[in-house]
Amino acid sequence: MEPRRRDLWQAWWRSFTVQGSWNYRTLVAPGVTYALLPLLRRIHSEEPERLQESVLRHLDSFNTHPYLSSLAVGALARLEFEGASDDEITRFRVALRGPLGTLGDRTVWAEWRPFCLLVSITLFGLGLNPLWCALVFLGVYNAGHLWIRVWGFRCGWQQGREVGRLLRAFPFQRFADRLWPVTMYLLGAATVLLGRAVVATSDGGTSSRWLLFIAGLMVVPAFRWPNQFGRLAVGLLLTIPILWILLALTG
Amino acid sequence: MPLTDINLPLATWALLAALGGLLAVDGVSVPQIMISRPLISATLGGAIMGNAAGGMLVGALLELLSMRHPPYGAAKYPDTGPAGLIAGAAYAEVGGGSLEGLVAALLVGWVLGWIGAYAGYGRRRINGRLTLASEFLAADPRRLERRHRLAIGMDVIRGILLTGGLLVPATLLVALIVLIPTTPTGTAIGATAVVTLLAASIGSAARTTAPDVRAWAMVLLGAVMVLTAIWARAW
Repeated sequence: MEPRRRDLWQAWWRSFTVQGSWNYRTLVAPGVTYALLPLLRRIHSEEPERLQESVLRHLDSFNTHPYLSSLAVGALARLEFEGASDDEITRFRVALRGPLGTLGDRTVWAEWRPFCLLVSITLFGLGLNPLWCALVFLGVYNAGHLWIRVWGFRCGWQQGREVGRLLRAFPFQRFADRLWPVTMYLLGAATVLLGRAVVATSDGGTSSRWLLFIAGLMVVPAFRWPNQFGRLAVGLLLTIPILWILLALTG
Repeated sequence: MPLTDINLPLATWALLAALGGLLAVDGVSVPQIMISRPLISATLGGAIMGNAAGGMLVGALLELLSMRHPPYGAAKYPDTGPAGLIAGAAYAEVGGGSLEGLVAALLVGWVLGWIGAYAGYGRRRINGRLTLASEFLAADPRRLERRHRLAIGMDVIRGILLTGGLLVPATLLVALIVLIPTTPTGTAIGATAVVTLLAASIGSAARTTAPDVRAWAMVLLGAVMVLTAIWARAW
C-alpha cells in the first residue's frame, strides 16, 4: 500500500533521531529502522510477516551521516514499496552506507560547520553582540542542515535505487568545497581577534607583541604536527594552575 | 572573588541542569542543530549568569580546541554541550573577566568535555544491550520504538546529571584558581600558554579542514588583514 503524506512526514521527522540508539555493533541501524517504521507499517499493512522480515533486515548493521540518513530512509522505503527482493535491499544497504558516511563527514563536519562557526567567532571578535553571533551561527548552519535533510528525503523517496547517481553530484558538496579559502581566511582573522581578547584579560600583565611572536612561532609546527601540538597545548593548560601555585609559593 | 560571594540560586542551578540535558541530547541523539557546540552552550551559560560575552569568549576558545576532534563515526571526541555550559556559567559567575578565570574555565570545560564523552560511551554500550535482540524487536516493532525513545531519554538524563552534579564543584574550582595570587611572570606564562593553545588549535583545525599548503597562505592572509586593520585603527 502506498504511504500517505502523513507517513512520509513522520519518517522524515523521525530521521532527526537516528543516532538516539547508536551502538557499537549495529551503529545507526536501530535509529534508521525507527525512522522507517511509519512507512514500513503502511507499505506492509496487509502482510504482518513481511513487516517483521523487513524490520529484521533493517536492524542489521548500517551507517550513515545523521543528516544524510533522510536520504537512506527515503530510498530504502522506496525499495520496500517497489517490492524489491531481500537480497537486493541488503546489497543496496551495503552499497549506500560507505558513501553516505564519508560524504556527510567531509561536507558537513569538515567544511560547513567550521565555516559557520568561524563566521560567528569572527563577528564576536569584531564586537557584535554575543547573542546575535550565536543566532547567526544557528541560523546559517541550520539553513544548510535542513536543506540536506529535505533534499535527501525527497531524492531518496523519488529516486529509490538511483540515489547513487545523485550522490556523485551532491550539490551541497560542490558548494561546500568552494568554501575552504574563506574558512581558512576566517581562521586567521579569528585567531588574531581571540588572541587580542585573551591578552585584554591579562590586564596589561604581559606584552602582546611577545605573545603574538610566540603564537606565530607555534602555529607553524602545530600546522605540521597537529596531534602532538594539540596534546602539548592541552598539557600546558592543565599545568598552568600548578605553575601559578608554585610561583606564588616561591614568591 | 571570595568563595562566600558565589551566588548560585537553586532555580538557576535547576535551569542550568535542565538546559544541560537538552544540550547533551543535541550533541548526538536529536536534533543535532548544534546548540551543543561550546560556542553556543558557553554563551548560554554566560548569559544565564549575566555575562554572555564572557561565556562566548570561553566558548570560542573551547570551540577552536575541539575542532581537532571531528565526530567521525565511532571516533572519540569531547561532549561539549554540558561542558561548555558549565565553563561559560562558571567564568561568568566567578571568573571576573580575568586571565586566571579564563584559564580555569577552559580547564574545566576541557576536562568536563571528556567526562561527558566517557559517560556517552557508557550509554552507547547500554544502547547495544537495548537494541541487539533483533528478532525480539522485529516480532513487535513497538518494542523498538519504546527502546529507541528510552535511549534518547537516557541521554537527556545523562546531561542533567552531568550538569547538575558538576556545576557546583566546577564553579568552586574556577573560584579557587582565581584566588591563587599570581605574579606578573605567572600572568605572562598563563597568557602565553592560552595563546599557544589557540595557535596550536588553529594549526590543527587548518590541517583538519583543508590539508593543503594553500590553506596556510589563507590563514596568514586573514591574520595579517586583521592585524593591519587593528594597527590602522590605533593610528
